[in-house]
Amino acid sequence: MTQSISLARLLGYVSKNVLLAIYVLFALFPLIWMVVLSLKPDSEMFNTTFIFHPTFENFRVVLTRADFLGALQNNLIICVCAVLLSMVVGVPAAYALARFQFKGREDIAFTFLSFRFAPEILVIIPLFLIYQKLGLLDSYLGLVWVYQLISLPLLIWILRGFFEDISPDIEAAAQLDGYTWWQVFFKISLPLVRPGLVAASLLCFIFCWNSFTFTLLLGGSHTQTSTVAMNKFLASDTVHFGWAAAAALISALPEVILALLIQKHLVRGLSFGAVKG
Amino acid sequence: MKKCSPGLHRVAVAFSAAILATALAAPARAQQKSFDWKQASGKKITIAFNQHPYADAIIQRLPQFKELTGIDVQYEITPEEQYFDKVTTNLSSASGNPDVFMTGIYQLWDYASAKRMEPLDKYLNDPAMTNPDYNSGDIFKGVFEGAKWDLKPSSAAGSGSLYALPLGFEMNVLVYNKKYFDAHGLKPPTTLSETVELAKKLKGWNGPGSYGIAVRGSRNWATIHPGYMSVFSNAGAKDFKVEGGKLMSALNDPLAISVTKQFAEMIKDGGPPGWSNYTWYQCGADTGAGKAAMMMDADSLAYFTATGDAPEAKNLAVAPLPAFKEGDKQGANEWVWEIAMNSSSKSKEAAWLFIQYFTGPEHVKWAAANAKLIDPPRQSAWEDATFKQKVAGVPGFVETFQKQIPNTSVKFTPQPYFIKSTTDWAATLQKIVLSGEDPNTAMKDLAKRIDRDTTKLKLD
Amino acid sequence: MSVAVTQPVRPPAPVAPLSDAGRRYARRKALRPYLILAPALLISIGILIPFVRAIIDSFTSLDLRGTAPAWIGFDNFVDTFTDDRFWHSVTITAWYALFATGTEMLLGIVIALLLNEENWVSKAFRTVFIFPLMIAPVIGALIWKLMTNPSVGILRYPLGWIGLGEFRWSADPQWALFTVVLIDVWIYTPFVIILVLAGLRSLPKSPYEAALIDGGSASFVFWNLTLPMLKPVLFIALVFRLMTSLQEFGIIYAMTEGGPGDRTLNLAIGAYNKVFQDYDLAGSIPQLLFLWACIYAICFFLIGLWRKAQKASSGVA
Repeated sequence: MTQSISLARLLGYVSKNVLLAIYVLFALFPLIWMVVLSLKPDSEMFNTTFIFHPTFENFRVVLTRADFLGALQNNLIICVCAVLLSMVVGVPAAYALARFQFKGREDIAFTFLSFRFAPEILVIIPLFLIYQKLGLLDSYLGLVWVYQLISLPLLIWILRGFFEDISPDIEAAAQLDGYTWWQVFFKISLPLVRPGLVAASLLCFIFCWNSFTFTLLLGGSHTQTSTVAMNKFLASDTVHFGWAAAAALISALPEVILALLIQKHLVRGLSFGAVKG
Repeated sequence: MKKCSPGLHRVAVAFSAAILATALAAPARAQQKSFDWKQASGKKITIAFNQHPYADAIIQRLPQFKELTGIDVQYEITPEEQYFDKVTTNLSSASGNPDVFMTGIYQLWDYASAKRMEPLDKYLNDPAMTNPDYNSGDIFKGVFEGAKWDLKPSSAAGSGSLYALPLGFEMNVLVYNKKYFDAHGLKPPTTLSETVELAKKLKGWNGPGSYGIAVRGSRNWATIHPGYMSVFSNAGAKDFKVEGGKLMSALNDPLAISVTKQFAEMIKDGGPPGWSNYTWYQCGADTGAGKAAMMMDADSLAYFTATGDAPEAKNLAVAPLPAFKEGDKQGANEWVWEIAMNSSSKSKEAAWLFIQYFTGPEHVKWAAANAKLIDPPRQSAWEDATFKQKVAGVPGFVETFQKQIPNTSVKFTPQPYFIKSTTDWAATLQKIVLSGEDPNTAMKDLAKRIDRDTTKLKLD
Repeated sequence: MSVAVTQPVRPPAPVAPLSDAGRRYARRKALRPYLILAPALLISIGILIPFVRAIIDSFTSLDLRGTAPAWIGFDNFVDTFTDDRFWHSVTITAWYALFATGTEMLLGIVIALLLNEENWVSKAFRTVFIFPLMIAPVIGALIWKLMTNPSVGILRYPLGWIGLGEFRWSADPQWALFTVVLIDVWIYTPFVIILVLAGLRSLPKSPYEAALIDGGSASFVFWNLTLPMLKPVLFIALVFRLMTSLQEFGIIYAMTEGGPGDRTLNLAIGAYNKVFQDYDLAGSIPQLLFLWACIYAICFFLIGLWRKAQKASSGVA
């Protein structure tokens, strides 16, 4: 490092941070505004901006409706199960697609991706009828299964890229040391792709959590998720933006907690990078 | 097209009678013992509710229903925007789920023609199935008959089988900021051209972003049915005509076009700047917040807004809708929330008991007095002192109701392409207002597109 | 360094004839990748049934009106492809996906690079940048709808300061598509950022150390080291953003329902309306199959391109 900072560097530093600041504002302002709305009483919803009499009444309304907490619990059960299932079957699949040479490898990989090609509305009515015959309507199992359409392709394709990035030399060396392939997979490869795995599973969780059409039409009174349920707070007699904002914030809470919990794993990946390449 | 609800003028008579007859004794209850509420005890039924105050009123009283009948009720509440999509999907599978569902009067035409709805006459007319106290004559006739249809497109509602029973109805009215109007010597407009002028003048009446009149504008059938359809039909314009034995759109008619043109002008110069995103709740919110000086929408929304927490709530008043031109009759298009039975329900007796209980005189009266049921469909509920006191708090509410009720009915022609054609109608209105399309050509193109479907319908 | 692996890890096959046990072992190993893949395939294969069902239904008059469906051959396809409104929707769909994906990729890469630096701004924002992705698109669109409301929305204040107080966002036919794309960018840019960031975080250090010794400039390092090594992850981000923005439904439906007029009516919205407003289930399928075929072709092309590039780069390495 040079001791004197040149003007060009300073300018670069400033412009970089200005750019970042603008994006931060763009990304976070709507969320801050949501928090503001959730604290506003109906009487001050539109005639005030940031100065008003804050109240937790909106949160109280949302939380005292038993069906919303139930919907939150439904969403949690369905999404955790869906992502776990995707991980159990998807991580090995991604590894196999990255590591092994076999006939039809690219076709199979593409097939997984192609599950995301079909627009939801194309499959949802036939799926509804099939679910009805199988008794899967309004069941956890049914929704966990259909969410595989959302999470599995994403997980497999993200992780495949990360597995491919690992040099085969490392694995070969481990195999020479007497490790079986699955020991290599669990002890060497899996830790190396941790940032990817963490990012991919978080994304899968978020996309499942926010999925709307599938759970609207294939779910029911037993499985209604918070993503659907929070829309009920928007309007009944008059509009209640405060309720809707409070419901949306509460509904996003599990995602936020999850993201913060795995944050350090996302960063820790840095230290593993050194052994690669 | 014939008038859909020929009997509704009687509502006015009934209503006036109701005002006078408050002191009348409750009907005799001698026969109640003979009716067996427990006949479907132990059965389980599923109900599909829209997120709505009328549904809340039912849910609040489910324990009483369970105690009376021994029927287990499960229910699902779906957000309003997605409610009908969900019901359509469930009904189309003919699986018997849900047993009972909330429906709007216009959706009835789609669902009944698809044979998804159980005709209710045989239950209603069976003394073993229906409590003598039910007294369907107590339901305003125009509202009651609106749910009857013989499934023939173009034929009047009120003929044929009964497909649903009403929870509550809505009449469209004009709402205005009385405090501001009074302070500035303004009177609520009585004709559409007056409304256009006034709405233009009121732009910016209460600071930046404020405007003259709030009306719905989203790309959705719900944009058409409140103010626009009311003024449209009061002017004498029709949505359909029968020509050569075929149902043809009448939206290319010169009168229809000139009403549309003037209404579009009103929106363009005096409507909400964000009009094309507006559904009922933005209209209500803007009026309550003092952004809109006037609003055309349902009287129930008027009531909820005027009794809510919004800053201008206490300053709002209700007036009759403007006529298209001087001398037109006063009236409004109506909307009815009903409950109906799934034709593939596997517990029809239990389902009927549910419908009977929650459209019966006792629940309606209770909901009108104690819950958010505005415009109860039963005369007996209007007689209730608590209810009368409740609605009297909004200036002009009762007077407007009385003035408009003789000519308040469903102004649309029953036909199974209602949602499709009316959504297209809303999209066309958006094009006229926002993209400057010529009302003449736009409405003629719209009529052509609608004809493509409706001319396929068999009328006999 | 090698980006891709095209070599099997298995040791070379023995030259000597195999014993029975050896043959069984070899067969087991040949089957191994298939066995590992089987659960994932089995779970997702169920989805092919409704898909095939939909294709069959497209040749019928199946609707949600309860009428008995009849075989009508290619009528639904002919009706769809001769309808001007279909081609209008195709244009809207293409522009939407192009604008949204393009902006998100560009912005995502830039922001991820900035976030990868070790100063306090980057560190602080790294924990929160993903939050917009966590708001369900339906609610996200609702918040934007409220903020952009020209009468009561909060954004009318800053716009008023710069003389755009009358700006009507999605209620203006000229700006409706821009507005819905903006919301898409708001929600999904974090998706690109997180992938690129995870990619940056797992890059090997040694090439950078070498470049530092050689005195390579920052832009040289970016274009010749970072970008090529990020390719796999960028590619994944591009493919996923492209295919979901081509199918986007929730944001547009919550914001404009396809309006004003038909200005934001993309194929997904058009098909949804056909199902739930027209009850024309079979009639909605051709445009969805068209959309599916387009996504298939685009992804097929992109992946082919990527594989080629990868082969070339591993050949060089």
